[in-house]
Formats: sequence, structure tokens, C-alpha cells
Amino acid sequence: MIKSKTFFSPENLAFIVLGVFVVVVMPVLNCLPVDNPLHLSTFQLSVWGKYLCYAVLAMSLNFVWGYTGLLCLAQNLFFSLGGYAFGMYLMLMIGPDPVYNSALPDFMDFLGYQKLPAHWVPFENFWFAIGAVMWVPGLLAFIFGYLAFRSRIKGVYFSILTQALTYAASLLFFRNDTTFGGNNGFTDFKTILGYSLRDPETMRAIFIASGLLMVFTYFLISWLLSTKLGKVQQAIRDSENRVLFSGYSTLSFKLLIFTLSAAIAGLAGALYVPQAGIINPSEMVPSKGLDVVVWVALGGRGSKWGPIIGAVVVNLLKSWATRAYPESWLIILGAIFVFVVIFMPNGIVGLPAQFKALRKKWSKQPEPSST
Amino acid sequence: MKAFFLIVTILASTLLPTSGVQSENARRLFSDLILKAGDEDALIDQLAETGDPYVIDLVAAVRIGGLLQDPVTPDKLIISLDNQYAYLLGGETFTGDPASLDKVRASRSLRKKFSRVVSLIELASPDYQARAEAAIKIGASQKEEFLPELRKRIDTQPTNTLKEAFREALSLSLLKNGTDAEKLEAIEALGDLSSVSGRDFLKTAREAYAQDESAKQYLAACDTALKKIESHEKRVEFIGTLFRGLSTGSVLLIVSYGLAITFGLMGVINMAHGEFIAIGAYTVYVVQNQFAKIFEPGTFGFETYFLWSLPFAFLVPAILGALMERGVIRFLYNRPLESLLATWGISMIIQQAIRLIFGAANVQVTTPEWISGSFELFGASMTYNRLAVIIFSVVVIFMTWVLLRRTNLGLQIRATMQNRNMASNLGIPARKINMLTFAYGSGLAGLAGAFLSQIGNVGASMGQAYIVDSFMVVVIGGVGNLVGAAISSMGIGMVDQLLQPVLGPVMGKISVLIAIILFLQWKPGGLFPSRSRSLDD
Repeated sequence: MIKSKTFFSPENLAFIVLGVFVVVVMPVLNCLPVDNPLHLSTFQLSVWGKYLCYAVLAMSLNFVWGYTGLLCLAQNLFFSLGGYAFGMYLMLMIGPDPVYNSALPDFMDFLGYQKLPAHWVPFENFWFAIGAVMWVPGLLAFIFGYLAFRSRIKGVYFSILTQALTYAASLLFFRNDTTFGGNNGFTDFKTILGYSLRDPETMRAIFIASGLLMVFTYFLISWLLSTKLGKVQQAIRDSENRVLFSGYSTLSFKLLIFTLSAAIAGLAGALYVPQAGIINPSEMVPSKGLDVVVWVALGGRGSKWGPIIGAVVVNLLKSWATRAYPESWLIILGAIFVFVVIFMPNGIVGLPAQFKALRKKWSKQPEPSST
Repeated sequence: MKAFFLIVTILASTLLPTSGVQSENARRLFSDLILKAGDEDALIDQLAETGDPYVIDLVAAVRIGGLLQDPVTPDKLIISLDNQYAYLLGGETFTGDPASLDKVRASRSLRKKFSRVVSLIELASPDYQARAEAAIKIGASQKEEFLPELRKRIDTQPTNTLKEAFREALSLSLLKNGTDAEKLEAIEALGDLSSVSGRDFLKTAREAYAQDESAKQYLAACDTALKKIESHEKRVEFIGTLFRGLSTGSVLLIVSYGLAITFGLMGVINMAHGEFIAIGAYTVYVVQNQFAKIFEPGTFGFETYFLWSLPFAFLVPAILGALMERGVIRFLYNRPLESLLATWGISMIIQQAIRLIFGAANVQVTTPEWISGSFELFGASMTYNRLAVIIFSVVVIFMTWVLLRRTNLGLQIRATMQNRNMASNLGIPARKINMLTFAYGSGLAGLAGAFLSQIGNVGASMGQAYIVDSFMVVVIGGVGNLVGAAISSMGIGMVDQLLQPVLGPVMGKISVLIAIILFLQWKPGGLFPSRSRSLDD
């Protein structure tokens, strides 16, 4: 396993370069005049911003799956809950609309609400919304995790239960009467903290925030892994019973990690929403949860770079293939998936090591023995 | 076959005067009535006595302006049906210009008499179901004129159901038209018959009695009767819920039994299980289309297509499952989490392949006549296709039990599933057994799809709706325990149907999922946890 010896390991240095590129260079390219060949349009910037949020989502999954061995299929649920919490704030910032002439979100006018439901009121405050983005998914993860870990549900059963949780939540959010906009979810956002979402400056700021979130998440996870918590965490992945017999309460460790990863996923969801311009329950369906797992598996789980590479590669591939081969995109994705699982157990990040091992094998045995 | 068609043609065309030789009498009486050739009351009585259902059609024709008169020969009535014009008497086709005809209208008093005739004829309908319904309808109308008719006919009714229907009708009518003693009797009778249609009448009657101090006796009788009806309704509802729960449970059972084998016994998280269900359903669709090419839809030959499709619905997914096991799964026996990922990839491939081959829209699978429709049991209505699923789920359990417990192959399967290495050391061809077991599980999924095609939509993603539920069934039942899977699917189906009327379908489903998570707090290993000394099981 990769050990984080010092802060200035080549891995971390490479990441700092990436971070500077994302946080500084890309926004600068966006500032360039439109006719400059290096100009990055605001649209493209927001697409990359979405990928950054996906990367953070993948990192949060990697934190629980790659380093703790808990394959959580509800990561997209935490992501969407964060997105919904922030979406509630953005919905309230739209202001009175000309059709119904009320400050309520459109779908509420449509359903005949006279005043804002009580649980919506605090979301008029930006900082409350930011807090909710973390504690709502965190709380759900805490409660669910406590119930699951307490009764020693692990491995495949944990995955199946998290999938059931996601399924139940998506059913709930697809309904109209749960005050979350039903099928259509939230859309048509206008302003954030008083700045228009149509301005390139606002979008640039959100992009930089996404980049910073990725950098922050990377170093938070790196730091945690180097602490005692990280050691116990990886020990749980490798043999939970031994950790248990050594006198550690694996319940509290797993619970902390699970809750933290849900909060990170929620933050990623919150930054995703203004850049995508919409959040609806289709982000919450069980198959999306498996998509996140694909990103991490393809990039390489249990590695710091893996989830970032996986999330970006799969999504780039997706945006290309859905245009070039709209009919067979799912077949391509499925085939990649099967291939990765069977032939690339350590993902893209693990490929160099795999090639090295192969070369060693060949150089040791130039001619295969004929037995 | 030809004779059969002939009969069908004749039956279909009885409405046209040309064929209805038996209706000649009714037709003449009717014509006389309209043309006022004779005493109206005597003719009406004679018309009612014929008991000919054709009269109902004639009356309806008058109402919608389908009875016409040629101004040139006004004594010859013409009846129009489906844009064909024929003389009422004799039945020759009218060849003139239909636009020249005048519509015949019956007078108000005649129309009233006609409606009475229709009611009387319906009361004597040869179709018992229709006759009972007509009786209740007439009773509920509470018209005094029918009282003697109902009373006269009760004892001559051939079946008990009909007798009860007539008694109910009579009581309904007596509630308004009877003497005081008869009213009391009627109230009691309605209670004894658990008459659902009588409830509203009883409630109205009860309100009237409640005003009247001297009618305490009646009030009490009404209350008893209402209570009886209510308890009967509750019983019917309970039986209905029981049946629906049983059928939901059976659907879950046949959907999850394949998974109980691939996941429960083999330990493979088969996310493509739902897609094998879809493949089974599409196999039925293909077989149906082949049958439709050979036989006319609706014929006996076509109706049997579903039976012929069942072996294919088992074999096609089974072969695909065997290929999948050889190609992918066998590399992943020691990595269960990764089998989840690989099979998820396969599921995406299969879904999209189905969409490419059959189109993205749902396909139409016709339900054969013999498993559509419904029947009544203790007053609760049940459909045949649901009943077929229940029977089939029992067959599946039995088949699997015989395979696993009573055959040599089953012994080898169980040994291999317990310990692959040990089994192959003892000379069991573990590779082959793995493949066959996986194929069997996939085949069961296909059979489930075949039955789902009869009760739901057939589309590429049809299996997705069941996959979460199926995993729940297996986990609750205790992984590796087929009896547990059967019990848990019935339990989940029952709870689902009990909660749905109270909470609505979505909240009901969510409550079931939450209940499952809480259940696992109490019994983490499911109903029947597998016992093992190994630490990491």
C-alpha cells in the first residue's frame, strides 16, 4: 500500500501542481479574451467544475471503500442530499416570479402552498444552507451507519442495504408532496449571495471553490490516513476481526469515517448544483450510486489519485461517447467495467505496477517452460 | 373448426333480424305496439311473457333513434344496426335511401311500459350473473310495481345465489314499500345477507327511525344489520388483502428465488439478475410473435403460446447465465464485491442490447384468455393471472427442493457451495457444478420474467424494479437458505399489502424498507442465519 511518508512525496507534489492548475490557471484561461486560442469558455469551465465535484464525490467513496473496505452504494444519495440542501437556498433566492407573483418556489405555487413550509424557512440563510449541506447527509450516514455497524452488517450486505436506502430515498424524492419538487426537482436558479449565476465572474468563483474543495479533500484524506485513525481504518479493511480482537471499537471508527465521507459528498453535491443548474431525484437512483463505484474502480481504489482520474476519465468518455455513439454508450461503459474488474484490479493507477510485474515475469522466463 | 366459426358468426349476428327466427314473435308484438295495432296493455303483457332478450335491443334501438319508418309504407318498420337497414318483420334488407326514412318515437307512457318490460325480461335472463344484477338493481330502485314480480320469482330460482339475490332485492324494495312487520323482516334479512348495496338504504332508514321515539325496535334492528354488513365487508377486505399479499409475495418469491441460488448459495452478487428476468419476458414476447405468424390471434393454437414459451424462457437465460459464469463470474468467486461490479457492467450491456434489438419502448405481450379475468372467493375478487403466479411459485419451490434435496446433482451442488475446494478434492466436478447452478438460477429468473410479462409491463429495465426487493428477500430470509427466502418473500409481500392501503404505495414501500433495516438490527443473519465456525462468514 502507498504510504504517505512526508508531505513532499512525489505524489503530493504532483497533486499540488494539479491544484494550482485547477485553481489558478484554468480561471485565468477563462479570463482571456474570447479570440485567444487558449480561451476557456464559461460553459466549458462549468463542465469541468462538475467533473471536479464528481472527483470529490469519488474521493469520498474511495475514503470509505478503498481505505476502509465499506462499499457504500449510497454515496450518490449523500451527494444529492447536499445538492438538495443547497438547492433549497438557491430556490429561495430566485425571488418573486411574474406568473404567480409570490416568493415561494414555483412548484409550491403550483401545488397551492400559501406559505413556506417550516423546514424551508432557515434555508434563506446562506450559512445555514452550507451547514445543512454537510450535516444532513452526515446525520443520515450516522444513523444508518450506527444501525448497520452495530449489528455487524458488513461486506456485501452493507452494500445491498445502502442501495436499499438509496432506493427508498429516491422514491421519497420522486413524490410531489414531500416539498422537494417531485420529478422535476429544483432548477432555474438565478442568484447566489446576490451575484447573478449568469455572470462569468460568479461561475468562475464557484469553479475555484470546487477546485479548492478538491484540494482540501485531498489533503484532509492524506492527513487522516497518516494519523492513527488512518492506520486503524486500513487495518479494518484488511482484517476487521483482528482489529476488534486488539481492543479497538471498530464501530466508532467506521462510524466516524462513514459520516465524514457523507459530509464531503454533500459538499461536492452543493457545489455541483449551481454549475449543473439543476438537481432532481434522477441523481439519487440506485444506478447512479454504482456509477460512482465505477469511477473509483476504474481509476484505482485505495489510491489518492485513482478516484480523481477515474471520475474525470469516465465522464470525459461519457460526454464523448454519448455524442459519438449514443446508442451503444452503455454497452461500452459496461464492457469497460467488466474488463477493469477482471484485468485491472487496481485500476488505471495500478497499471504501471501491473506492467512492471508482467515484464519481470517475462524477463525471468524468456522462454516458457514446456511442462 | 369451421362449425365453431359458423356458431360464432351466428351468435354475432343475432342482432340482425335476418337470423333471429326465434325472435319473430317478439318482433311482431313490438311492431304492433309501435303501430298501435291492438290493445297496448295486452300486447305489453305478451311481450314481457316472451322473455326474449332481443326486446332489450329493440327498446334500446327506439331510444337511440334506430327504429325507422318509410313514409311510403309506414306500416313496415325498419331497424338500423351498424349502418345496415332491414325490415323489422321478415328481415329483408332495405335497399332505398336511408335519408328518406323517418325516426319512430314512442310515446312517454309507452316508453315507461317498455322499461318495465325490459326489467322483467332481465329478471328472467338466462345469464344468471346478469339476472342477479338486474334483481338487485330493481330492488334498489324500490319501485312498488316490481314487488309482486320479485316475490313471485324467488322460489322458482334455480340456484341459491340467485335466490339470495332475489331475497336481497325484495328486502331492499320492502324497506320502502312493505308493511311495518315486513320492514322489520327486511332489515333483518339485509343484515343476514350482508347486503353491501343495502347499507346506504339501511343508513337512511336508521336516520328516519332515530327521529321517531316509538321506533326503538327498528333502530336496534338497523344497527345489528349494519354491524353485520360491516363485519362482512371487513372479512372480504381481509381476504382480499390476504390474497393480494400472497400474490405480491409469490411474485417476489419467483423473482428472488433465482437470486437466492446465485447470491445465497453461490455467493455471487448478481446485479444482472434483473436483466435475466427481462430476457425471460422478451423470450415470451418472441415466442408469442412466432405463434402469431402461424395461428390467428384469439384461436386456440395461439392461446397456448404461453405454455410453449415457458421452456424457452427458462433455457435462453440459463444458457446465457452459463456463458456468463464461464466468461466472467468464475474469476471472481473469491472477490464478492467485485462480482457485484462486473455483473453490474453486464447488466448495462444486456439492457442496452435489448433496447437496440427490440426498441426502447415497452413491448406488448398479450395475456391468453385462460389466465385473464377474475373470480370471486368469499366475496373478494381475485384475478386468474395472480392465482397462476401463486401456483407457479409453489411449483418453483417444489422443483428446486427436489433438485437440491432429492437428486445426486443437488447433493453435489450443496457440497460445492459449502466448500468449493473440498468438493473438488472429493472428485466433484466443481467447475461444471458452478456453471449448472448459476444457469439454474438464471433460468429461474427467466421464468419469473415470463410470469411478470403476464401481470406487468415488458421493457428493457423491467428487472430493475425488482432487484432491490429481491436482495432484501434473500438477506431477510438468511443467505443460503431457500426456505427462508420463501418465508421472507411471503412476509414482505403481506406487510407490503397491509401497509399500502394505509400509507399509499410509495410510503408503504419506504416503510417496508425501513422495517427491513430495523429487522436486521434484531436478527442480523436473517430469519435463518447460516451456521458456521468460520469467523469471516
